[in-house]
Amino acid sequence: MKRFILLLMLLLVNTVIVWAEDKVEVFPSVRYDQFTIYQNLAIFWMGIIGLIIIIKIKLKEIERIQKMGIDKEEKDVPLLD
Amino acid sequence: MPKRGSRLSCQRFKNWVEERYDIEAVKKLARHKLVPINQYEIWYYTGGIAMFLFILQFISGMVLSFYYVPHPEYAFKSIIEIVTKLNMGWFFRSVHHWGAQLAILVLFIHVFSTLLLKSYRKPRELLWITGFGLLKMSIFFGLSGYFLLWDERAFAAVRVATGGAGNLPIVGGLIKGFLRGGIDVTGDTLTRFYAFHVSILPVLTLLFVGIHLLLVQYHGMSIPLSAQNKTTKKVPFFPNVIYKDFIIWLVVLGIMVTLATFLPPEIGKKADPLAPAPENIKPEWYFLFLFQTLKLFPGEILGLNGETIAILLIACGILFFFLIPFFDRKSNRGEPSPVFTWIGIFYTVYFIVMTVIGFLT
Repeated sequence: MKRFILLLMLLLVNTVIVWAEDKVEVFPSVRYDQFTIYQNLAIFWMGIIGLIIIIKIKLKEIERIQKMGIDKEEKDVPLLD
Repeated sequence: MPKRGSRLSCQRFKNWVEERYDIEAVKKLARHKLVPINQYEIWYYTGGIAMFLFILQFISGMVLSFYYVPHPEYAFKSIIEIVTKLNMGWFFRSVHHWGAQLAILVLFIHVFSTLLLKSYRKPRELLWITGFGLLKMSIFFGLSGYFLLWDERAFAAVRVATGGAGNLPIVGGLIKGFLRGGIDVTGDTLTRFYAFHVSILPVLTLLFVGIHLLLVQYHGMSIPLSAQNKTTKKVPFFPNVIYKDFIIWLVVLGIMVTLATFLPPEIGKKADPLAPAPENIKPEWYFLFLFQTLKLFPGEILGLNGETIAILLIACGILFFFLIPFFDRKSNRGEPSPVFTWIGIFYTVYFIVMTVIGFLT
């Protein structure tokens, strides 16, 4: 019986090792690295949102100027020089 | 505040360029490019998103090509090394994978929206042809890139895909032999697919994108028939539309990076040309509708090979799809054509339903 249990244990361990060997880690497994990656992702999204806000403000300003009609060049403007 | 010296050198450089090239004419052209604003405006942005994703694919692909070894003995190992040993290697591979998925998805959306809004109608037939060519090239980009992984699933997928092409009568054998570089999928196929993926397809894509963009500039944005009679407001492309493009591109970039971080693509077992295909294999999602269609056909129809008949019918369906701008005469005359609207709906619904069924089963 003891031999059988030992054999079973060895088989299980072997299966786990083989399974672990087959699976390639496609993402860093160290907790510290994972934390850094998630932190950087959050900063990246903050950067994206910030840029979107800036572009939105700029776009609104352009549309406001276009509505006022002062973005077009006037014809026959006297030159000062 | 910029230094006086740097401001002067900037001005000198600007003068240097302006003395040689007519920049003012380009600026004037850009200012005069107008985009119509209507209820279908959202679909105008899909082309820009696809182009942005193509650029990202080129960049991430170039980075990966520094380390990838296109040889059957080392291909799989080189990818494992990229993912496990290189700094941020896993990230670049994941970004390249998700960029490809998103680019193909956006291209499908772009093609189906063009079909349903009938933007292919006269005089934009060439735009449809180049766009269709780009979609086909992107799918081949996906298949060839998937094979470069050289794992058992990619190997089986390429064997099935090239075998399917081989079922076409008359030209099938030629296409299969050309793609495989021999009778079966081997190391020669890997070399061939690598050549397609990093040199032939990028050059063809650049050419087609260039023609497509030139034609868009020449014809301007298409206004759907239903919105044509209404008074449409037009806004300048620079800066109004380009700023909106930037916003959408930033969101797409964020989504791509998030997907790449949370769902990096797995790597299976190394391909063994002598081993049987693994069980329950599925092609990539953009082949699922073809895979499901093939399943609908029995092995034999009236004494003929069922798969050959299925492939022939699918090829006819794709050919009809490609030639729609030339069949839809009513749309070309500017009249409503409900038959082609229903045909467009049928193609779109069929693609979505078959893909979902293929994904779930």
